[in-house]
Amino acid sequence: MPGNVVRARVPITFSYKNRVGHALEQYINGLKEKKILGVKCPACKKVYVPPRTVCGKCHKPIDQMVEIGQEGVLKNFTTAHVTIANGEITDVQQPYIIGLIKLPGASSLISGIIKTSSVPEVKTGMKVKAVWKETTQGDYNDLAYFEPA
Amino acid sequence: MKRNVAIISVGYNGRFVSKRPDINIPELIQPAVDTAIGKTKLKHDQIEAYVVGNMHTFEGINQPHLWASDHFGGSKKPVMRVATGGSTGASVYQAAYYHVASGMYDVVMAIGWEKHDEGDAQVGLMGILLPEAFSLFNFGPDMSEDRGVAGLGGGGSTGGAAFQAMSYLTKAHAGIEHIDRVAAMMRSNAAKNPYAHLQQPGCTEADIAKTPIISYPLRYGHTCPTSCGAIAMILVSEEKAKKFGITDRVAWVKGLGSGASDATTGNIIEGQITDPAEQYMCKVVAKKVYSMAGIKDPRKDIQVAEVYSGFSHQDLMWPERLGLVDEGKSPEMLDKGAFAIDGELPLNPSGGVTSTNAIGASAMVRVGEAALQVMGLAEGGHQVQRKIENVVAHGWGGLFQFVTVTVLGRTPVKK
Repeated sequence: MPGNVVRARVPITFSYKNRVGHALEQYINGLKEKKILGVKCPACKKVYVPPRTVCGKCHKPIDQMVEIGQEGVLKNFTTAHVTIANGEITDVQQPYIIGLIKLPGASSLISGIIKTSSVPEVKTGMKVKAVWKETTQGDYNDLAYFEPA
Repeated sequence: MKRNVAIISVGYNGRFVSKRPDINIPELIQPAVDTAIGKTKLKHDQIEAYVVGNMHTFEGINQPHLWASDHFGGSKKPVMRVATGGSTGASVYQAAYYHVASGMYDVVMAIGWEKHDEGDAQVGLMGILLPEAFSLFNFGPDMSEDRGVAGLGGGGSTGGAAFQAMSYLTKAHAGIEHIDRVAAMMRSNAAKNPYAHLQQPGCTEADIAKTPIISYPLRYGHTCPTSCGAIAMILVSEEKAKKFGITDRVAWVKGLGSGASDATTGNIIEGQITDPAEQYMCKVVAKKVYSMAGIKDPRKDIQVAEVYSGFSHQDLMWPERLGLVDEGKSPEMLDKGAFAIDGELPLNPSGGVTSTNAIGASAMVRVGEAALQVMGLAEGGHQVQRKIENVVAHGWGGLFQFVTVTVLGRTPVKK
């Protein structure tokens, strides 16, 4: 390495206090009751999960909450080899599966950890169901993971 | 379009490489500027305005226009800096085009660069993604722990792209071997481009298949490198091109456009997740650009494509979304050799982004390479030999949801 390279390390902490907004607050409260909520556009009938306050397609405000089924189809997945906790990215001992799941009644996909007895068992198109934490507290983690249905 | 605009010169700083510890960022830019000017009879002071850009934060810097203007010749001249993520280079070029097409200026230089060895791209990505990702709370993606934003959990931008690759393969009934094959083709094309970074003459599917999986189905061999390099282009009005007497070896801008989509049209990280491989916006933008360029059938009228593929599955996906190939048919085109430099639709003769990626330059390199193909000036054996009328250049940026498309041609659109 030539001597004209200056190497500097500057520690930076990003910290956020993000407001989730009206629709997501209801979604998160729903998780506490082991329910998955979406919102239905009155014009195009699309059901957004998680819910939002406006339909991008129709440019209309939407607020009609609907409950979504908890057993759906795995539409897409990848393997993850790192995890992020408190802002730190660390390697995991074993790769895990992150899936995108189509739940009945939803027009969009939601992401979740897929747990199976073996990784090769995971296939696009397989049926999966939501598994909840025993004690829920109104947090994304209440919906613990999805397993084969 | 107000006025016809031609690209009259394209200059690189030299071969793109992973590290240039011998020079600083302005010193990387300057040779590209000098090369572009040196290929014409113009002098530096004839450049009336500059549009410049690099990827924000990847080099650990945010406002290059603060300190680089002397080196590219922009002091005391109008300078505009543009940054749109991966598509920055194309957006810079489009802004330069508007400068000339509007009638405000006659001779404008566009410059795009990246010096990846100065910063940490992953930290830069975090600096960009984190604020965006946190705002995504408003749309629902879970940022906590393992599920994180799926892209982060899966490993940076490869993690996000993995879902797109998976969706593409499923829809096209293709396999990971097709991604291996197209990746190998790009690295062998790069060997014919003296400016390309990863040059692997005769690279095979097996060579790529040996590389480890990063986020299934994407391997190390399917991902772009981080390169140091700069590109400069000179854009002039039709009147000035005639006055300068340079109307034969030029590339005319016939159509251009850009568009941003939300998740509802097929994205992964932003808003609602639907299908990251749908890329509806690319189809919309391409259609508009073709109509602007007077192209009725892109499959007949466009002879070469330079698409922006940070990940190799995109080399199969974009030609379809750009309307050059039927949906799901790229693997078949690849297998019959149609995408080769001497094939029916040469795809990235330059070796593409998976061979060379100086991010702020990359999307402009697609346009620059398209221009060189039209001019017949691509060096080192990657010039397409059959007659070229039109070339399409494409770029994507943002969170997989911002698209730019340009058509360059041998003759200007009639006014």
